Amino acid sequence: MAGRSPAVIAAEDLARRGQVGAAVRACHDALALGDRGAHVHALLASLMLDGDFYDEAIAEATAAIESDPDCSPAYLALGLAYDRRGGMSDQSVLVWHELAEVVPDLVTAHVQLGEAFSAAAFDEEAVGSWKRALELDPRESRATYNLAIASLKREGMALALPLFRQAGELDPSQDELFFALLGLADAPVIAVDPARVKPTREARLGAAGLALKADDIFTAAELVRSALDTQPDDAEALALAAYAYLKQEAANEAMACALRAVSLQPDLATALYCLGVVYARRTGLNRHAARVFIALAKKAPAHALVHVLLAESLLALQRYEQAGRAYRTAVRLDPACVRARFGLAATYLTEGRHAEASWEIRRAAYYDTKRQGLFWKLYEEYVAAGEEA
Amino acid sequence: MAAEAAAQLYQAFVDQDPAEAIQVVERVRASGVAQDALFDLLYAPAMGLLGGAWASGAIDEMAFTQAAVVAEQVGSFVMPSAARRDTGVTVVLGTVHRDHHSIGRTIVAATLKEAGYRVNDLGVDVRPSDFAERVQETGARIVIAFAETMRTARSVSSIRDVLRAEGIDDAVVLVSGGPFIADTGLAREVGANGVIGGAEAALRIMARVARDLASAGGEA
Repeated sequence: MAGRSPAVIAAEDLARRGQVGAAVRACHDALALGDRGAHVHALLASLMLDGDFYDEAIAEATAAIESDPDCSPAYLALGLAYDRRGGMSDQSVLVWHELAEVVPDLVTAHVQLGEAFSAAAFDEEAVGSWKRALELDPRESRATYNLAIASLKREGMALALPLFRQAGELDPSQDELFFALLGLADAPVIAVDPARVKPTREARLGAAGLALKADDIFTAAELVRSALDTQPDDAEALALAAYAYLKQEAANEAMACALRAVSLQPDLATALYCLGVVYARRTGLNRHAARVFIALAKKAPAHALVHVLLAESLLALQRYEQAGRAYRTAVRLDPACVRARFGLAATYLTEGRHAEASWEIRRAAYYDTKRQGLFWKLYEEYVAAGEEA
Repeated sequence: MAAEAAAQLYQAFVDQDPAEAIQVVERVRASGVAQDALFDLLYAPAMGLLGGAWASGAIDEMAFTQAAVVAEQVGSFVMPSAARRDTGVTVVLGTVHRDHHSIGRTIVAATLKEAGYRVNDLGVDVRPSDFAERVQETGARIVIAFAETMRTARSVSSIRDVLRAEGIDDAVVLVSGGPFIADTGLAREVGANGVIGGAEAALRIMARVARDLASAGGEA
């Protein structure tokens, strides 16, 4: 690929900034000026997809692939366009298969291929694709959500629910919730030097939170210990300790700290979160988990994932309709919440509402690929490879 | 009494004495506390005491970890029962002849099983005579027929016909599937007693039907 034209570079910049209309115009300018590379059509396809113009997206992505059969971002746009348009699962299977061939280690291609197989009622092949995705990346939460849905269809909720929870714990959004409840949602991930932390409660707890966000459990534990040595009845410090224990899979220590914290401050969101998560992991404590998550939902109603956690505990209690309402609240708060979309799909399946379930899974796919910035990752790799050549 | 027992349980945790911890649990159980209440009345307060002792430095990190191990060993003695009680109510269900849709049936069957119903799941493509045969074998008085196409949904009437022909007049036939949701009159046309809209609806309807059958003196 000879260097990209200034019009394409301008289009890329506009697209990254979310100025879809202007970016489309810049792409057309590039085409008019003779820059007819596959990447221009791929970029246009992605922009059309952003605007929900599926047929146009399909046409542009097809043009890109005709121009260069190795244009991976075009396959991504084409597959997503087929999936979101609906009723094109046969074509979708072929496209995701091609993308998995063009970029064999692209985990999402296998996840998408599985979803396309599932939509076309090739259930065994779908499970095979998701397992392949997990072989490539065992922490792939969307593949696990899909396996949970497959388990629900084949074995019912009791066996599917552990998979939903397993996927949820792989999902980075669960940790993000804790830090959001802590007020550190936007805090940077930085190394904390305990020797430089002021010897005040606020400074110690703030630094402990930052250390936990940086996965530095030992520093966090040291700072929490200092705070508790000064004030043993500090519920916030105990909640941080509970989270640190949770991260070390020490469930009983986490439960002990969280229960103590809740006894001191019954509405402390971080403590309720830790206690609910510990309870949700224990067979027989689903009712307790639901109770705790109801309290958390009252305390922190603006966080989508709080409603997801509540919904999952309701699923375990066979309260599918109530769970559906909690999932819908989560989706309303955060339309990009993949975990809520899959959970909502599960509740639709319990009501025999298959089309709505499929729609939620397709939306989850859309938001998940968007969250990953997958189009741009493939686009940049493709453009860079072209320029090297 | 409960606070005292929780303190004893906490002490057994700290002393790393699982036998004593279990004895505390058994003493409280023997005093009439139900299994489902043991966790809240005894275990959770003891764990809260443990957290407090660690926070205050009354026990060190090592003792906390060892106490948590004992707490783990005792956990199964205080957990509320996960399994639902057997309702004693038997239900025969299956997807009707020439229909191979299985998802809705699987989810409803698993939900009912989990809720303590005795579920006889006949699978897909089940002939009316097979429904009747299994009803006779099990003594069930509740049948749930699943159908996802209009044609197969209409064939549910033949299940009722076969049941009658076999002398089973008192069976409750429930139906489930898209056609019955789309056309609310269809269930009545095919001789069904009710429509199951989903898994949770199945629990509600089954509870009501089981209650009605029990009050009518019939065996559910």
